[in-house]
Amino acid sequence: MQLAATQRTPLIEISATSCRIVGECYPENIQEFSSPVMTELRSSVPDSGSYTVELELFYFNSSSAKFFFDFFEFFEEKAESGVAVNVNWNYRLDDDTMLEAGEDFAEDMIKCKFELVEMPSESGADAEDE
Amino acid sequence: MVSDATLELHKFMQARKTLFCYSGPLSEDLLTSISNPVRHQLSETDSSDSVAKKVFGVFIEQAQNIIRYADTRSSATGDGVGTIAISLTDEGFLIEAVNTIDSEKSTALEKSLVDLSMKDATELRKMYKERLRSGPPEGSKGAGLGFIEMARRVQRFEFEIAETDKGPVFVYRGYVV
Repeated sequence: MQLAATQRTPLIEISATSCRIVGECYPENIQEFSSPVMTELRSSVPDSGSYTVELELFYFNSSSAKFFFDFFEFFEEKAESGVAVNVNWNYRLDDDTMLEAGEDFAEDMIKCKFELVEMPSESGADAEDE
Repeated sequence: MVSDATLELHKFMQARKTLFCYSGPLSEDLLTSISNPVRHQLSETDSSDSVAKKVFGVFIEQAQNIIRYADTRSSATGDGVGTIAISLTDEGFLIEAVNTIDSEKSTALEKSLVDLSMKDATELRKMYKERLRSGPPEGSKGAGLGFIEMARRVQRFEFEIAETDKGPVFVYRGYVV
């Protein structure tokens, strides 16, 4: 699955070995946005081997928080059933909001390896000025 | 002079340093359209990215509250009607919203906001996580996290539920530093 970023939704790439989400998430309708993503994950993520999850979020609203909660719960269950899941939560140096969000999600991840990765504050991947 | 009221409006907005204000029916489509000018206005101030992002986050939550819960709806489209503004004050950015609410829900709203106003950052964080796990409360059209999210981002907030002949009017003011 390949979804290009829009003004209110992030870039999403899902394959059999990795998942990448980059950008902002405050969709007009969170259900419409999240259900195909969760469906794709259920069919793409294997039951064994390893899997990489790469996140680089700049902003998400409170309605989307539930989506990310379900997203991580899905991977935690995969990890419990034997998949080696590596999650990288990338946040910008001075972005305490996204750092805290990452810490909050990390607390619930027991079987997944969850890394908080600091990036320079001015990232070239910034889409906000487009 | 016929233009007096217009001039007064201009002076008033300038004096209170209002960077952005919208009043009327609000929809998700409209929110998409106004997100960019709001960001642009914030980038014109000398605030850090981190502060601008907090202001934007509080603005989005307030806008979505109007969209979902404003009791007054546009007769043409059914969109929630309210007023939302971002201003600069001595206390930092003020993000404020006004909309009518369902009179049956005003007591519960007041109670939960009084409760939130007494919590510190650690308690708010804990509450946010608990709500995320438990799912939205009855009657919520989102994740039930909006007011907790805003309380986490603001330095402080204040609110008022004023009784008017059109029913209760809810006023929320959040300061971001």
